[in-house]
Amino acid sequence: MEDERYITFENYLTNKLSNEELKLFEEKIQSDVNFKYEFEIYKALNSSLASKFSNEEKEQELKKTLTSLGNKHLKKETKVISLFNYKKLMVAASIALLIGFFLFKNGDPVYSDFSNHHKLELVVRSENNQAISKAEAAFNSKNYKEALEQLNTLSQIYLNDTEILLYKGICLLELNNFFEAEAIFDKISTGNSALVNQAIWYKALSLLKQKKYLECKKVLKTIPKSAEEFKQAKKLLRKL
Amino acid sequence: MNQKPHEDHIYIEALLKNDSRVLSKIYEKYSYKIVAMVKKNNGNADDAQDIIQETLVTIYHQAIEKGFILTCPFDAYFYLLCKRKWLNELKKRGNKKVTILEDITSISEEQKQQVEETELFEQQHQLFESKFKELGIKCQELLKASFKIKSMEKVAEFLGVSYGYARKKKSQCMGQLTKLVKNSTEFQQLKEY
Repeated sequence: MEDERYITFENYLTNKLSNEELKLFEEKIQSDVNFKYEFEIYKALNSSLASKFSNEEKEQELKKTLTSLGNKHLKKETKVISLFNYKKLMVAASIALLIGFFLFKNGDPVYSDFSNHHKLELVVRSENNQAISKAEAAFNSKNYKEALEQLNTLSQIYLNDTEILLYKGICLLELNNFFEAEAIFDKISTGNSALVNQAIWYKALSLLKQKKYLECKKVLKTIPKSAEEFKQAKKLLRKL
Repeated sequence: MNQKPHEDHIYIEALLKNDSRVLSKIYEKYSYKIVAMVKKNNGNADDAQDIIQETLVTIYHQAIEKGFILTCPFDAYFYLLCKRKWLNELKKRGNKKVTILEDITSISEEQKQQVEETELFEQQHQLFESKFKELGIKCQELLKASFKIKSMEKVAEFLGVSYGYARKKKSQCMGQLTKLVKNSTEFQQLKEY
């Protein structure tokens, strides 16, 4: 009797019920509270176990990463900087500050002061794709033409990948194809991925590179306070 | 569920992608607060590391299974989860005085809701795991194989049984598990979901 019930659940979840059985099933869900209750548990278990077992390897990989990050960041806390090193550090820091001061104080801000791109790291995508490693190598060595070609190939495989799209935009910006670059940044910034603010920031950089300071300012002001880019944006705004 | 992800949703994506560059930012930016909280409350740096890692793995589970979307800043959400986890750990260890005093004062309704959602998910997840282990070893193996391999034809081949038998057995084992969960006291408390 009860076995029968679970077979029905299984068949329902794997789309194996005939039309007639499906009708019966749906009626029963409506009328029998206990049947519905058990089905909900069965379904939740099914989804939980499916997720657990099909992602087991990924989970192990993640744990490895977290363990090594934890060891790196949380285990070395007893290390104390000796006074001598500390002094050296202070001197170095003030020199860096001075240099920074001179670099920034003279005239209008320039694109290259702000265009420190994050490294392109797509390796985490499971497939060992040649285009991925080529794109990364090219981008990270500032060979934007080559990187753009590889990213174009990749975007045909990963159709809706915002990260790839954003990096395409950065390459275009570096190659002074402002129009196309900005079209990409606009597209991302009106979407709802996690890269929205980065796209806005790059739009601003594109305007900066073209010396369209007023427009650049306007765009910068739309970056919310909570964004990672906010600090840079504020810095740039001060200089405009 | 059409929620707009918060900027900090990058951390959830980083968990899904195992992106160590972004993940290391979590450790750089947010871990010291948690270490300090644990140390102040009868723990050490190792405890803090465990709590942080377990919390991140829970968020990962929720993201991969339920498509969890972070709609509030990561900072307070993560801190509160770690704090409550440490509280539970202290209780488990038999500490009687487990009121952690210092607290973040400004917590929005939304953040609280997200924290609770994650906690509820975790409780259910743990319950399912522990009940799964109560199944007989044959059932455990069959279920594991059927969720890993996905095609029941191949599962049957793998286990050396007929396709019909494998399917029937799978629903029987799932049925047993359903009953174990249903009759547990923990599940009665987890009404939602």
